[in-house]
Amino acid sequence: MIRLENVTKSYKNSTVALRECSVDIAKGEFVFLVGPSGSGKSTFLRLLTKEESPEGGRIWVAGKDINELSPWKVPFLRRNIGCVFQDFKLLPNKTVYENVGFALEVIGVSRSVVRNQVPQMLDLVGLGKKMDNLPHELSGGEQQRVCIARAFVNRPLILLADEPTGNLDPSTSEGIMRLLHRINRTGTTVVMATHDRGIVDRMRQRVIELDRGTVVRDQDRGVYGYG
Amino acid sequence: MALSLEYVAKETGNNLRRNVLMTTGAILCVAVSLTIVGIALVLKQGVSRATIQWRNGVDMNIFMQPTAPPQQTAAISTQLQGEIGTDIKRFTYCDQACAYAEFKVMFANTPDFTTSVTQQDLPPSFRVVPEHPELVEQIGDRFDNQAGVQDVEYAKQAIQGLLTVTHYAQVSFLTLAAILLVLAILLIVNTIRMAIFSRRREVAVMKLVGATNWFIRIPFMAEGMVQGVAGAGIAFVFVYILRNVVFDLVSKNTIFNNLIASTHDVIGTGIAILFVGAVVGGGGSLAAVSRFLDV
Repeated sequence: MIRLENVTKSYKNSTVALRECSVDIAKGEFVFLVGPSGSGKSTFLRLLTKEESPEGGRIWVAGKDINELSPWKVPFLRRNIGCVFQDFKLLPNKTVYENVGFALEVIGVSRSVVRNQVPQMLDLVGLGKKMDNLPHELSGGEQQRVCIARAFVNRPLILLADEPTGNLDPSTSEGIMRLLHRINRTGTTVVMATHDRGIVDRMRQRVIELDRGTVVRDQDRGVYGYG
Repeated sequence: MALSLEYVAKETGNNLRRNVLMTTGAILCVAVSLTIVGIALVLKQGVSRATIQWRNGVDMNIFMQPTAPPQQTAAISTQLQGEIGTDIKRFTYCDQACAYAEFKVMFANTPDFTTSVTQQDLPPSFRVVPEHPELVEQIGDRFDNQAGVQDVEYAKQAIQGLLTVTHYAQVSFLTLAAILLVLAILLIVNTIRMAIFSRRREVAVMKLVGATNWFIRIPFMAEGMVQGVAGAGIAFVFVYILRNVVFDLVSKNTIFNNLIASTHDVIGTGIAILFVGAVVGGGGSLAAVSRFLDV
């Protein structure tokens, strides 16, 4: 589903974010991306949505070489990838329903389908009763659930999460992880970048560890640090 | 993937409301500059109507008596023919039917006039373009007293003054209008830029979830076009009202009366103005979107 081959990415001030990175992730896997700040986790995720382009190497997403993708096709790549962020990135002036519906509207889904799908999705994440609330009326955990609803409402093949529990307390984080796990069980490939040692250790999924841009560990059923 | 009209209309309406002050400023600027353009065009049209007998470089008009027999007309024609290449560059003959058609154009604003005059009342004329305009009077003198000739008129006397004045008026108007149009475009670019900035969060989310580039751009461009066309619409109304006001003011004086463009002309000009407004609005917003929208 996701494949990186000798990918190198550096930024303008000559910081090397990724160095000859090669990774292969199969459909339906749940992968933790761990490593200290600046190790290249966020860059890794941004390369997958083509928000950034690598200097060297090749990247395949859902079987397509995304380096070869022409600019007008990029939006269609992104429709297959749901993104969840640490800072939620919700629209503050829209209700929960409108935030999730927005994701469907802007890709041309008809009103009637939106009216059908959004409540279903919100029920799935446990926010069925909060459709008309604005983001600032929700707790951190609830806001993150809205993000997950928005990311998943289109049933993408891949879900990318960049420190989704970064702003949340441990028990709320637990709830979010259960949700992501449920999503993964539907067949969605999940790649999650995280600092949260506890979560990684508890879930025992595949762990890819990055350090200064290189893959130093790739372990099935791994833990955060060296076991 | 459908970009529905409803979505564009809703988004454009919201955008315009959020930024009322700047939007109003941009619309007014477009309105003022296009009003000036409209006035210049309408003035030009009025003058064209009034000077229809003198178009294409005609410097001298030999008017024949309406009742002149064909031999006399033929004689003048032959004489003129003989001077081609020496004193005369070219000439055309406008018979009574042609004269009547022109008459109707010239007096479009006073239709009762045209109903009381018939084709037979009007003098046919030879329209002469001389080789050397300075010597035109010398040529005219040769025809002045010939049989059947009613009158010889020179452009210099008939219309030169009018043309000079209106030429300067038009040049000043159009220069002023051009400057204001540039200002209008800049205002629209800035308004759209502010709209893009104030909606940056929405744009970021749209890009994230996979909205196509044109889906993101089009509402902003629609906003610009609306501003351009709204401004042009205001200008159209102003020019129309202005024309009617001026017409009422000078309606007693028949000469000036016919310098004023007809309602038909004004509507034609209005449509041109609306088109320019749409181009200014669309162009300005396209420039803003290309430069400031990160898609």
